[in-house]
Amino acid sequence: MTAPQTAADRGGFQTAWRRLRRNPAAILSALVLIAIVLACFPGAPLWVRHACNHGPNDQNIQGFVHEDGHRVPVVANDGTPIGPGWRACYLLGADSNGRDLFVRLLYGGRVSLEVGGLSALLCVFAAAILGITSGYLGGKADSLISRGLDLVWAFPVYLLAVALATVFATGGLHVGPLSLSSSSILLPIFVIAFVFVPYVARPIRGQVISLRNMEFITAAEANGASTLRIMATELAPNLHSTVLVFATLIVANNILTEAALSFLGVGVPILTPSWGNIIEQGYQTIVTAPALTVAPGLAIMLTVVALNILGDALRDATDPHAQVRIKG
Amino acid sequence: MSARTLTAALAATALALLVAACGSSSSTGGSGASTPVNGGILEAGIPGNPDHLDPALSYTNEGWEILEATNNGLLTFKKAAGGEGSEVVPDIADSMPKVTDGGKTYTFHLRPGVMFGAPINREVKPSDFKFSLERLFRVDSGGVGFFTGIEGAEQYAKTRKGGISGIVADDKNMTLTIHLTEPDGTFEDYMATPFAFAMPTGTPDKDISTLPEWRIATGPYAITDYVPHQKIEIRRNPTFKSWAPDTPDGHLDGIDVKIGVTPEQSVNMIADGSLDWYFESVPPDRLSELKARYPDQVHPFVRNNVTYFVMNERKPPFDKLAVRQAVNYAIDRNALVKIYGGQGTPTENILPPGFGSAYEKHNLYPHDVAKAKQLIQQAGAEGAPVTVWGHNTSPTPAAVQYLAGVLDQIGLKATVKTFDESVYWDTIATQAGDPQIAFDDWNQDYPEGQDFIDVLLNGEHIVNVGNNDQSNTNVPEYNKMIDQAKKMPLGDARNAMWAKLDELFMKNDAGWAPFMNRQWPKYVSPRLHGLVFNGNYFELFPSMYLSK
Repeated sequence: MTAPQTAADRGGFQTAWRRLRRNPAAILSALVLIAIVLACFPGAPLWVRHACNHGPNDQNIQGFVHEDGHRVPVVANDGTPIGPGWRACYLLGADSNGRDLFVRLLYGGRVSLEVGGLSALLCVFAAAILGITSGYLGGKADSLISRGLDLVWAFPVYLLAVALATVFATGGLHVGPLSLSSSSILLPIFVIAFVFVPYVARPIRGQVISLRNMEFITAAEANGASTLRIMATELAPNLHSTVLVFATLIVANNILTEAALSFLGVGVPILTPSWGNIIEQGYQTIVTAPALTVAPGLAIMLTVVALNILGDALRDATDPHAQVRIKG
Repeated sequence: MSARTLTAALAATALALLVAACGSSSSTGGSGASTPVNGGILEAGIPGNPDHLDPALSYTNEGWEILEATNNGLLTFKKAAGGEGSEVVPDIADSMPKVTDGGKTYTFHLRPGVMFGAPINREVKPSDFKFSLERLFRVDSGGVGFFTGIEGAEQYAKTRKGGISGIVADDKNMTLTIHLTEPDGTFEDYMATPFAFAMPTGTPDKDISTLPEWRIATGPYAITDYVPHQKIEIRRNPTFKSWAPDTPDGHLDGIDVKIGVTPEQSVNMIADGSLDWYFESVPPDRLSELKARYPDQVHPFVRNNVTYFVMNERKPPFDKLAVRQAVNYAIDRNALVKIYGGQGTPTENILPPGFGSAYEKHNLYPHDVAKAKQLIQQAGAEGAPVTVWGHNTSPTPAAVQYLAGVLDQIGLKATVKTFDESVYWDTIATQAGDPQIAFDDWNQDYPEGQDFIDVLLNGEHIVNVGNNDQSNTNVPEYNKMIDQAKKMPLGDARNAMWAKLDELFMKNDAGWAPFMNRQWPKYVSPRLHGLVFNGNYFELFPSMYLSK
């Protein structure tokens, strides 16, 4: 007896890849994402080393740049920072602390992508364990896990995230051996991962329920396979298309959530640049220095749109009949 | 002329000269409308909750601006701008107090018929003032330092039982007598601060900001509703009848304060007509634009202020003098003024320039990062973790980030922690939550060096809650000099002591890194007039009026 065939099974990957390649929007999105990742990760230190020689937190309030033979202050006496211009340093201008916006955007992208990516991995991993356990075991375990997920689901996602992040931002997180200070970047990662778990675990549970009565599971049980083994080797592999699509879509959601939390001052620590932090620190000067808000805003929009298009395309390519959607 | 009378006359003259030198300013606001008009509701905005609406606890500009309009003390600062606004005049007292016993006894006589508003609706009595002053000690008020010189106050601060022996209330004869342990040239100033405002006997020993039944007004206005994070509603106090020119009726029918309006939003709301006045100053980056577009609506108020970073001398690495001096060398004061949009002048003095001969500019700490690094190395503090605290109202977050960057640069390892401003000031004033290094600022309670040097740096006043000596500076030799200066009559000799202490503290203790004397430009709606900026109570609501 064999497991049911999906497009993403052995050999199905090639079919999925063929479908994906025929989707120009997906290819464009993938290229945009690759460009953003390359710019933020290897690109950021290269730019600092070869173009402008100052880091994302280097302040230069009293400094000058030379333009058309004139010395232009990085921050004017009335506090207005220099705007965008065709120059290696301060390409997108500076903030009120005289920090290079373009450099901060690159390093901030690293943080936003890391927070979005790691929290998505954590979220999907936890959701998969809970969904598979709940869906396969049924009974009391299912009730317990499902009600727990319902409890988290009952809160508006941003309200819950802000509440948790505010509590942790004050005293840090101390649970058993796990101890994180309030300035740890792991805190927003945990918070964001936690609040989205029900949104991923529930569909996975539903899919496991539909799989658990199929013949390949019955056969594995008849052969004496343990519960853990069935969950790990029979069910999990049949969920990979769902998990892959969810992971892609949830990264986009998590980047937005990081931006929202950081904008409210309870996300990424204030001294660590992230796209959300840059917006938070720049919106007070939106009239005189709009680049401080517009540039990270555009970066977030571009990344999130690309991830969403790619996620949708992956879903269509791996399982055209799937109804996978993130409802935040 | 007796020695005491001569001293009082000299003190009054010196004070008048001193306050005339202070930089407070006034404006009629808006354009036209020179005759005040009664009526209308002022639409006001504030970024967060005021710290408290309890006169015993409030210690911020925002709180005092509101409480000045709703409550009264025995004395008041004259409700005027500039130097005139620093003159202490009678309020609920019918005249200035009779000072006897070599300046150690003050006898006040209360005017009859001054009423507490609803739901108390009774006359204010001397025993209410005794109760109010004693309550300061029971609620850990930040203002207790002003009143520890009253006989029996220090004992009462410890026991909180039996009352303060040096305050004698005689309700029958409407007199309140206060005995001091030592003469204090500025005691009348203390009695004009909101800490000494009348609260009815029986007011609970807890913050009454959100207890409407205990927010009892005596002034022209009453706080009729307060929903934290949403609104403050202020309306005319129906029981109020003006008893003196410095306790006027007020022109507005009321004030609606929207809570949660950011500085940037305030500018847009005033421009579109949905806001008349904002508690805070113009966001630094908007000032040039607003001055150009609305010259009649921007008012450059100057107050006696010092803005600084405070270092906790009880917490490493700031328990070492070299580290504190290093911070003073490391910060670029001109850069910090730029962060504040140029709305200030750089300083390394404790006292502001408006304090006449008490201000002697010193230049002990020119910007020198190399010297700062060297001092950190000498102190063995390299790599020491430091958390910089600040509140979240712009541009303070930028200032604390600047400081964190500078501390990293000189070899410390800095992180930043920000708080909502509504809880920030109380938090940094407690020993339990005391930061290592924090943003701080101080605006005069009254125009004299004592209000800065004694209140903020005299180690004898260090307390666990409501602590104004946030650097925990405690140099016995300087404490003695402060105590000596406090007993001197107002004037040049006393000012010279404050100037000397200013330099000594900065040179040999350096618990502060002062960086700016701040200015507070305000942008108001074109229909708002009658703006009077008092250096002690700040902007006076009862003077404001709206054009029809």
